Amino acid sequence: MAPTTSNATPTVAHPTLGQTISALDRRRFLRGTGLALALPLLESATLLAKPATQVDTPKRLACIYFPDGVPMPLPEDPAYTDWLWFPHGNGKEFKFTKCLEVLQPLRSELSILSGFSHPSARSIHGHSNADQFLTGAATGGDGEYKNSISIDQLYASHIGDQTRHSSLVMSTDGGTGTPRGAHTLSFNRAGRAIPAEYRPKRIFDMLFVKRDGNAARRLALSQSALDDLLADAKSLRLTLSTNDQERLDEYLYSVRDAELKIAKAKSWLNTPLPKVTADGLELSSYMDAPRDYLQTMFDLIYLAFKTDSTRTATYQLGRENGVGQSDHLARAIGLNLSHGLSHDTTKPGGWKKFGLYCSFLAEEFGRFATRLRDTPEPAGPGSMLDNSLLLFGSASSAFHLSRNYPLVLAGGKNMGFKHGQYINHAGANPQGGPWNGGREPWQQEISHEDIPLSNLFVTMLQQLGVETETFADSTGEVSNLV
Amino acid sequence: MRHRRTFIALVTLLSAILPVRFTYAQTDGRNVSNATLTELKLHGAKRSNYVTQSLPARSEKAPKPNLVEFRKSIQPILKASCIACHGPDTQEGNIRLDALDPNLQRGADVKWWIEVLGVINNGEMPPADADPLSNSDRSQLVQWFSTELQIASQVRRAEQGHSSFRRLTRYEYNYALQDLLGIPYNLAKDLPPEANTEDGFQNSSEMLHMSITQLETYREIASTAIKRAVALDPQPPVLHWNIPMQAAAARHWSEQDKQIAAINEQLKKDGDKQKHQRELDQLLKRFQQPHNNTYYRDLQSGRTVRSSWQYYGAKYAHAPTPPSNSLPAKPTHVVIIPRGNFLIVELGNQIPPVGTLRVRVRAAQTLQTSATPPSLRLEFGWRASNDSRALIRLSEHDLKISAHSNNPQFYQWEIPLGNIYPRNSVRTTAKMGATPNPSEYIRLSNSSISQGDIQIDHVEITGPIHNQWPPKSHNRIFIDSPNRSNESLYAKEVLEHFMPRAWRREVTSEEVKQKLMLFDRMRPEFDNSEQAMVEVLATVLASPNFLYVARATNLAHKKPNTNQQLTDYELATRMALFLWCSTPDQELLKLAHEQRLHEPNTFAQQVQRMLEDHKSQRLAKQFVQQWLDLQLLDFLQIDRKVHQRFDSELKLAMQQEPIAFFSEILTNNHSLLDFIHADYTLLNERLAQHYGVPGVFGNEMRRVVLNEEHQRGGLLTQAGLLAMNSDGVDSHPLKRGIWLLESLLHDPPPPPPPAVPEIDLADPKIAEMTLKQRIENHRQHAACRSCHAKIDPWGIAFENYDAIGQWRTNIADEPVDASSLLFNNYEISGMEGLKRYLLTERQDQFTRALTYKLTTFALGRPLTFADRSSIDQIAADVRKQGDGLGTLVTLICKSELFHSK
Repeated sequence: MAPTTSNATPTVAHPTLGQTISALDRRRFLRGTGLALALPLLESATLLAKPATQVDTPKRLACIYFPDGVPMPLPEDPAYTDWLWFPHGNGKEFKFTKCLEVLQPLRSELSILSGFSHPSARSIHGHSNADQFLTGAATGGDGEYKNSISIDQLYASHIGDQTRHSSLVMSTDGGTGTPRGAHTLSFNRAGRAIPAEYRPKRIFDMLFVKRDGNAARRLALSQSALDDLLADAKSLRLTLSTNDQERLDEYLYSVRDAELKIAKAKSWLNTPLPKVTADGLELSSYMDAPRDYLQTMFDLIYLAFKTDSTRTATYQLGRENGVGQSDHLARAIGLNLSHGLSHDTTKPGGWKKFGLYCSFLAEEFGRFATRLRDTPEPAGPGSMLDNSLLLFGSASSAFHLSRNYPLVLAGGKNMGFKHGQYINHAGANPQGGPWNGGREPWQQEISHEDIPLSNLFVTMLQQLGVETETFADSTGEVSNLV
Repeated sequence: MRHRRTFIALVTLLSAILPVRFTYAQTDGRNVSNATLTELKLHGAKRSNYVTQSLPARSEKAPKPNLVEFRKSIQPILKASCIACHGPDTQEGNIRLDALDPNLQRGADVKWWIEVLGVINNGEMPPADADPLSNSDRSQLVQWFSTELQIASQVRRAEQGHSSFRRLTRYEYNYALQDLLGIPYNLAKDLPPEANTEDGFQNSSEMLHMSITQLETYREIASTAIKRAVALDPQPPVLHWNIPMQAAAARHWSEQDKQIAAINEQLKKDGDKQKHQRELDQLLKRFQQPHNNTYYRDLQSGRTVRSSWQYYGAKYAHAPTPPSNSLPAKPTHVVIIPRGNFLIVELGNQIPPVGTLRVRVRAAQTLQTSATPPSLRLEFGWRASNDSRALIRLSEHDLKISAHSNNPQFYQWEIPLGNIYPRNSVRTTAKMGATPNPSEYIRLSNSSISQGDIQIDHVEITGPIHNQWPPKSHNRIFIDSPNRSNESLYAKEVLEHFMPRAWRREVTSEEVKQKLMLFDRMRPEFDNSEQAMVEVLATVLASPNFLYVARATNLAHKKPNTNQQLTDYELATRMALFLWCSTPDQELLKLAHEQRLHEPNTFAQQVQRMLEDHKSQRLAKQFVQQWLDLQLLDFLQIDRKVHQRFDSELKLAMQQEPIAFFSEILTNNHSLLDFIHADYTLLNERLAQHYGVPGVFGNEMRRVVLNEEHQRGGLLTQAGLLAMNSDGVDSHPLKRGIWLLESLLHDPPPPPPPAVPEIDLADPKIAEMTLKQRIENHRQHAACRSCHAKIDPWGIAFENYDAIGQWRTNIADEPVDASSLLFNNYEISGMEGLKRYLLTERQDQFTRALTYKLTTFALGRPLTFADRSSIDQIAADVRKQGDGLGTLVTLICKSELFHSK
């Protein structure tokens, strides 16, 4: 196995070492700093402003996660025809089972994918893996825990300050959860969990009502501190040789960037909030009315997108392994605890019950996508769905098996996505079956190698306009989607 | 493209080669073929050219290059021996000698000439199939080139200074905050990791960049750090858990009690007293059995019961108890923890977030006769649900439990709670008993490798502990003053006290004034002046004056200090960064303030003092990790299916050995050649077991004498270094060869050319090959041969050590073949042969390489051709003064390089 290296610098592979040797020039700092700094530093605000960007049609990303996998009856099982989560067929020729047939009206707006998973979690118990669904990190099954940036946060940093909120992070259970028991899909650049909000009212207020009284004060303090640091850096710069000045200029540029960020934040403070009424929103709903709650959460993403309050949202429908509020979601269709459905598939009608629950989740996801499809893009061509990329999926398929993630990718036609297909990488006979008390599917011999899910993320990021060729452990792209 | 070119030039210019070498001494090697390695070490030291030859004297006048001599004697030799292959007609290796400019002081071809000198010196040119150079020609070439290079280096040094202006590294920043504020926390973990230079060092001025994310992180960390150092709130309540093992055992007896009750019930029914007594006796006897896992024992009745623990419902949590000042009563129960087992003491969701947690246990070993006490480890953990949990080792050092059970003793740890990560994130939100479970626990583990049981009768946990309130770190910032009630006067005093320590220099009144203005601007936003001051001080710590190592220049003049000589303050900073990886302490700053630090006696005393301080451990740790590239060991994935005995304890010991070994050599001023071979190393029990060295007990590293059977000694045979240069399954001669050349000889092979053919793993023939066959196959390739012939033979010599550094004599039933032919046709046989060769032929090269690496680290900048003569001077001096590692460190500190910009 090739050793990994922590350097993100360009590398060339050496044929026998199998390891990477860093390219000679690791210097990554911008060229041409000398030129800019011949001008009096940071004196003129006009110099600091980034060139005015064209107003493009916004590109949006929403990632939705459901826990505990999907029904995977084996072909010899009578439930195979109707209750396998994945469609039957391949490419354009495929047929939804009852699990996803609610998505039939959206068939031309989406693609189903099988045979994708994150390599570093494939031998880990499925319930530990919501943490890495959007990050691809080796979060492991036990012991030390380290995560990395999630795709939504990477995209959020690309959008930067173009929207009031860099991202919307939501989950049914709220907070960060615990390592390997995440209640959030989003992780920052340092790999720290970003707490998710679960209360519709709070989300609505944050987006459309509440003014953060402390924000102005915090910005003022930061501004004072930055002024002071700038003064320090300028005095220090006078005492440095030309070469050393170049080195210190990175610091000055960082202060400048931080100031720009504050200026942006301040301007948002002064920009009026979009006018949105809460009519028709069940802002106080929760697990006493699970369907209302799901619909409200999806509606909030819709409204946030429509008002361009943010361009990226994550929503973790439920935490893995039950033991949380989200376990009650199945009550929406008259069943009891959601997680238990994935265990009880050997019981009579077990696959069907589990499938009905998955169908319910798909139905609500479909309702959200339909609403985007039916809304013309406010400031551009096509529908909102054409400019919004939606990922809907889970980090396990068969019982605790961290492979062959069930995935739906919808929307984004204006970004170049081609839909109406089943990208079947899992093949005709995917790993599955119920748990009979012996070795679980995830512990059994693996017959099929998946494609790294990060390859899909690379393609998604590229179509969203992020110039990148890699994400986490990607090995390429997924070409047949665009 | 300036940087790229400079960089290539650097790598090439500084390839370590011997400055002066007159004979290529194979004959000497033969003469001493019966000598032991220790004798070779001494013998080689006497023959050192650094000792026997003198370096060209420094002259005040700029010397002229000796081109007359070049034309007269050097050019003809080159013509006769080299030009046929490296001339107008043929350019082997793309080198054409007749076109190179022989003016080494002004010419552009110095790096090529250094290569030329290198291959002649190491006997690699002319190649084996050509006519050899005569001894007199060889020595004439070497003499002329080394003298000219030496002088040219001095000339260039005199003409150009160097910049060592740079940002603090992540680890320096962390230590500096800890030392400056007097707090134990690891604060820098949110900063991005540093990149390594080609030399392998992180503190190089070229590599330390800054970005907005970093700047924002620095500000956050500074604010957190100061808030942890000061105490703006009333002292938080101290919680106590006094847990006699009687209480911990209490919930375990019910099962046994039930069985006893059942028998008693039976007696009532059938009235057979005799039978009842017999059954009761049997039962009680059974209840007295010892167990293989952790168990409790009732000292009066002798009954035992296995300890159990389950996370859900937090049923095993102990609630805090009232404080107790008296010693716990004579124990009625003990818990017995056999080797490899543990006791979980669950404490609920009230363990404080920050402050110091004291854990005391009254413990003893159960064996009365054991001379080697067992080890107790402290861990911290929680389990929120069946798939979310953490277990973190808290005790850096395990405690040796040497007390005997007739006289158990208290043992204790003090743990900075703020360092524990991750804590149970639902501890503040979920209720006790709910799922996810908010409870946390400590775990006491018997971490002994071979010793016996540990018994504990009492556990006492207290926190957060403060010996005084406000804590010392608070008073270091908010100093005592008669002016405390005068807000602005006091603010000025606080800043005047803090800023010079933070910025490692005197500060001007303008600088203080500027910060006072900031204080005034911020003050209205806060309830009290201390809160505002915390923000101002955080800005002092986010200032470039703290984050960067700048020249403490005469700020009044507001212009660069062009003096090459460091001022006393600058010297204090350089010393602290080198020897402590941190900021200067009060004593250094005081001497700098008095302008006495540079005085030779004072300076020498300070270097000595700093080396004796425990903070110099950081030098050992940071330098060795970077010098030897130990991060490879962090990333190492050992295939546990192949190496079943590899475990985390072994990996930890592997990581510690090179650092402890370096420390031992430094502290005792042993010879730096001990890195090549020594008859001792530092081991703990797990690593000793791995090496087959008997009689080492306990988990701490200590000096152990080695003999020949152990097949160990020096860095080359350390398991961690061997393992990190494996592929996790088997040895990897190529990696080991490259590592030896890079880290120990500082003669790195060039990176592979871009057009090297990839190995086609899809080719079934290649896929079937073993790794070594693949390497051999690769070497046959014309494009690869020239490099690999210089690398692979070194690595083959390590073949007696497998992927985890275990000694082996067979590989798959074939005897190990560890003999190889170096590029200069010198035959070496296995590790012994490799060491013999290095000790016979390469002592000076190793000394120079280590000098080079340590000086690069000391200066925090890449070395250039202009530094060459100074490096040789230091290397020569350390050889003349007996090769001590402590001597080398001191010589580097005393060197002209260290004292100048």
